[in-house]
Amino acid sequence: MVCSLWRCLPYAALLLLAAPASAEDAQAPTSHSPTSSAAGAPQAIEELVRDKNNWGMAAKDYANTRYSELDQINAANVAQLQVAWMFSLGPARGQEAAPLVINGIVYVVAPYAGPKPNQVFALTLANGDLKWSYAPKPNPAAAGIACCDVVSRGLAYDKGKIFLNTLDGYAVALDAETGKELWHTQLGDINKGETITMAPVVVKDKVLVGNSGGEYGARGWLAAVGTNSGKILWRAYSTGPDSDVLIGKDFKAPYPWMSGKDMGVKSWPPDKWKVGGGNAWGWISYDPELDLIYYGTGNPGAWNHETRLGDNLWSCAIFARNPDTGMAKWAYQIGPHDLWDYDEINENILVDLPIGNEVRKVLIHPGRNGYMYVLDRATGEVLSADAFDTVNTISSIDLKSGRPVLNDSLTPQVGRTVRNACPASPGAKDWQPSAWSPRTKLLYVPHQHLCMNFLTGDVGYIAGTPYVGAEVDMFAGPGGHRGEFMAWNPVEKKKVWAITEQLPVWSGALVTKGDVVFYGTMDRWFKAVDANSGKVLWQFRAGSGFIGQPTTFAGVDGRQYVAIISGVGGWSGAIAVAKIDPRVRNGALGFTGAMQDLPTHTAGGATLLVFAVPTNKRDTADIVAPPK
Amino acid sequence: MTPPNTGVRLRIALLVLGIAAGLASVWPLSGSAQEGPALGSSKMDDGREHAGSGGLSPGSLIDVPMVNLTPGAVDVRPKLAIPNLDADAAQRGLAYFTSFNCVGCHMPNGGGGMGPALSHRPFIYGDRPENIYLSIHQGRPNGMPAWGTVIPDKLIWDLVAYVRNISQAPAQEWGTTTSKTSPTIEQVPKEFKPSTAQPWNYTQKFSSGQAPNP
Repeated sequence: MVCSLWRCLPYAALLLLAAPASAEDAQAPTSHSPTSSAAGAPQAIEELVRDKNNWGMAAKDYANTRYSELDQINAANVAQLQVAWMFSLGPARGQEAAPLVINGIVYVVAPYAGPKPNQVFALTLANGDLKWSYAPKPNPAAAGIACCDVVSRGLAYDKGKIFLNTLDGYAVALDAETGKELWHTQLGDINKGETITMAPVVVKDKVLVGNSGGEYGARGWLAAVGTNSGKILWRAYSTGPDSDVLIGKDFKAPYPWMSGKDMGVKSWPPDKWKVGGGNAWGWISYDPELDLIYYGTGNPGAWNHETRLGDNLWSCAIFARNPDTGMAKWAYQIGPHDLWDYDEINENILVDLPIGNEVRKVLIHPGRNGYMYVLDRATGEVLSADAFDTVNTISSIDLKSGRPVLNDSLTPQVGRTVRNACPASPGAKDWQPSAWSPRTKLLYVPHQHLCMNFLTGDVGYIAGTPYVGAEVDMFAGPGGHRGEFMAWNPVEKKKVWAITEQLPVWSGALVTKGDVVFYGTMDRWFKAVDANSGKVLWQFRAGSGFIGQPTTFAGVDGRQYVAIISGVGGWSGAIAVAKIDPRVRNGALGFTGAMQDLPTHTAGGATLLVFAVPTNKRDTADIVAPPK
Repeated sequence: MTPPNTGVRLRIALLVLGIAAGLASVWPLSGSAQEGPALGSSKMDDGREHAGSGGLSPGSLIDVPMVNLTPGAVDVRPKLAIPNLDADAAQRGLAYFTSFNCVGCHMPNGGGGMGPALSHRPFIYGDRPENIYLSIHQGRPNGMPAWGTVIPDKLIWDLVAYVRNISQAPAQEWGTTTSKTSPTIEQVPKEFKPSTAQPWNYTQKFSSGQAPNP
């Protein structure tokens, strides 16, 4: 670690003092722990993930629970929530980013559009003042390399630095206090079809960043960049020889069909792995005890599966890697030889669950293929996999082999239209992250309910252009609705309650110790529901539809807030913000068919909303003092 | 007239297309690049006869304005001999639209996705044939690649013919009303009409996100 003496010493001292926030601590009125920045020592992310007052990473904690120990806002008073203040991020494109809050400062990032693409803003939580903003040097052509709107899923923080990924392939570090650029490093190249949309995650002084580009034949990777140096420390590819995938002698595949040397080459036709996708554009979890990071990989390229005979390892897979070296410990391919664009980049939630007669360290992965996977996170073994939405493309998951049992009657062939395949290409659930409550032991899952017609065709690879080869037409699943917000019990392997929504639920979820769950809808409602019953307790009609990530935190005055950015877009919502014709169903990689009426509900937006419950002293949540 | 760098372009294009399967049957360059509708045939896109001959090189398009605002409100559009953009050209353009991955961004029938919809006009950078030609040849700032060194001129003109075809959405009004009852129609989707270069000839009742009923 590179830092000056005066900067490192106080931090080291605070590390000794810091104690993880326990459930007991949370009973006390919310107040900042001594590790806060009062003394000027920036906190490490390893502490922030345990700090209930702050929201230091998009997923809240390394286990990716999106659970907050704050309970000032609870089922009894959530109906009183009001807007405290708002802020416009500018470009009215898809707002998928999570607002971060560290010691009274809110950090948000805008989509890659407008005069200042991926602009970062730091705002004072207490009154909404703009503290600083930062605009990376733009390459507007990157907008044409983004498959699914020009979104960013958020920032990361560690020890006084904010980390930004830009759509055009850079990782950037900023001084969290001043907004000054500390370093920037090019990781991807749009001329190879690479972009970056995921929220970076910091583990052990490394920023972990993966690329997007599965629709452009971009070869997937996850890179570790030194938080101080900006240097690339390791890069693990998802396809190719073991030396590139960082598979060595410590690696053990959970099933024999994935075992062997250079499977990332052998499971493809000659050289196709070089344009095979498998991009790491989703979520990263970390188990400090096992010292393993977990993340999923995306679809293989092209979508037309007849161009790539074989299992196409390691696309549509989950990797467990050592964060220091990048070396893989295990990997499990959920979707061998993907037929439908079922990326498996969705979040992996790390919890300990009673399975059989013992408590197992598991990873819950709500699969894009419509199955809820529970894996042993030490080995990758599948403990259970159960359908949570309408699925007819996969009959079941064979727990002996770990392979899906396919419905062969639906297998696409060039020139033959497959009708009514479910789930559609975005899966039963896409990137939108779930939340886990250790109180209710339920997983709160925002997801869609779509089927599709699918016609594959010839496609050639031209670097920097799409590599798809499928004409897709999505529509509402059985029942006519297109989305659902559900509570799932992973031990009993069943849905406990569900709220049907007319449109896909493309926002993330948040759950709190107050037993309230938050999510937003594409038709502009931000909702709070009872974590136990699913009863809607409060809803707010906003300016634009929601596809963002709700977060919650406390101000320096100890007051709890809830925040989310309003602004429809993303793959599902691009039709409301881009020049896409609702009358041509195959647009937006087929999502137009399912969303052609979205513009009758919403237009684009870019508004950060910060909510609070009025205190006794105030009858409104408005906390902005007039200028003196 | 063949622009001097066509040979280089053809080699690049053939290299690129060598990866794409199934094009041999529609590939018009297997004979000579001079075959097919002659560059510089005498129809303007609006049907008027044009006296010019000898074809168009990219250089002759330098005076084409991208916008319809000119100082002094004078008409500065040059007289051009636009190649014949007939149904055959559009049908060939459909094949190139797939083989050069135009379809990947602009989507089947030009419905729009990563790239803007081409299923209706106006276009940001102009919808006249020469504007569309230049947009393909030069690229455009927000993600449109510059194809001029990759796709031979003649094929670009076939793409122009196809794009002109698919952009003829039926206009019921001067602007566009969006409501629970508008639009009223949608195209029969591509999975049911895969080979038409005239997608607006096949329409059905608007489905509002439900399964299509062709």
